[in-house]
Amino acid sequence: MKPLSPTLRDNYRYIAFRLSFEEPIRARDLQTEIARTAKSLFGDVGVSKLNIRVVAFDGSKGLVRCNFRHVPELQVTLASISKIKNKRICVTAIGTSGTIKAAIEKYLQIEEKIRRNISSYVTMPVSGKAVRICGKEIDIIPEDRKTVDRADVNFIGITIDDNERLI
Amino acid sequence: MMHAYIDISVHAFPEGADTLKRLNLVAYGLGFSQIVVTAHSPHWSQFPDSSLPLGVEIVAATVRDLRKKIAFFRDITTIVSVHGGDERINRAACKDDRVDILMHPERGKYNGINQVTAKFAEKSEVSLGMSLDYFWKTEELERSRLLAFQRRNVALCRKFGVPIIITSDAYSHFDLRTPRQLKALAGLLLLTDSEAEIALSKAPLSIMKRRGQKEDTIL
Repeated sequence: MKPLSPTLRDNYRYIAFRLSFEEPIRARDLQTEIARTAKSLFGDVGVSKLNIRVVAFDGSKGLVRCNFRHVPELQVTLASISKIKNKRICVTAIGTSGTIKAAIEKYLQIEEKIRRNISSYVTMPVSGKAVRICGKEIDIIPEDRKTVDRADVNFIGITIDDNERLI
Repeated sequence: MMHAYIDISVHAFPEGADTLKRLNLVAYGLGFSQIVVTAHSPHWSQFPDSSLPLGVEIVAATVRDLRKKIAFFRDITTIVSVHGGDERINRAACKDDRVDILMHPERGKYNGINQVTAKFAEKSEVSLGMSLDYFWKTEELERSRLLAFQRRNVALCRKFGVPIIITSDAYSHFDLRTPRQLKALAGLLLLTDSEAEIALSKAPLSIMKRRGQKEDTIL
């Protein structure tokens, strides 16, 4: 089929995003969740206008594309995602751009923090097992699950300033 | 002009899942200049004396109980907000000028406020807190019901000049959203971009200034 001329093609906007997650997720699951959330918020007709697609995703950051008239709707969709396969995630939109190249250069050239697993018993500020460290952030699986159940997460989040013994 | 964005209602450890330092770290990365930790009144005693939150969200079963708790907390915290939902509690909170914010009044059977309550709120300088966490915590019918109630409340606030405050009501860093995302969500409540901007920056700042000034005058 002959390709459309540039003037007849759809105009897109690319939103660069960063992902906070409890467990690593696949691009396919993210695409499905975005489509499901968009459909729940805007219905079938709305989703057909948005034209959403995940263009790139490396596990912690990526690019998602939509029609250039519907950027706020995509922002709302990304903000409304909270879980994938019962694990908490948070999609943070970093910025919007008109081309993939500009989006990558402007927003995705960030140095990634190294995430490593640890295993250390802590008592401050809560008793439990520290399991992950990422930059200054530490995740703890607490012995008493009341707090994490209330917040609907699996870990207590602290920083190295809260427990300097873990540095 | 750059605005100083403030999230005036987040819940830190031991009530929420993240410590204040962790929430501060994440919120700063998202573009907030400040977050204010408020604790629900039943969890207040769990906080150690050295790190008491800046604000309290009073949970009360009756109006009498609410007045008693307001009198207790007004002197020891900067921000006093009331956990809304029940219509009698909502109205009593709006009548009381010691209250700063009425949080999520729409969490009951109906939207929680009417023109009478809105007039009281305007007179007593009580702001209406719109927590947007239901967008990611609820689904389908419940979400659309709360959205409809909040839209109605926004229209009432606009008509009677009640200040609106947008918060994420976060219990962990997974509940924090960027100011731009909150503004996009506020667009669904039919708030304009400038109104959402004020609800995220000027309105919370003015409460904090006002309370700071009042404390100064008491001293």
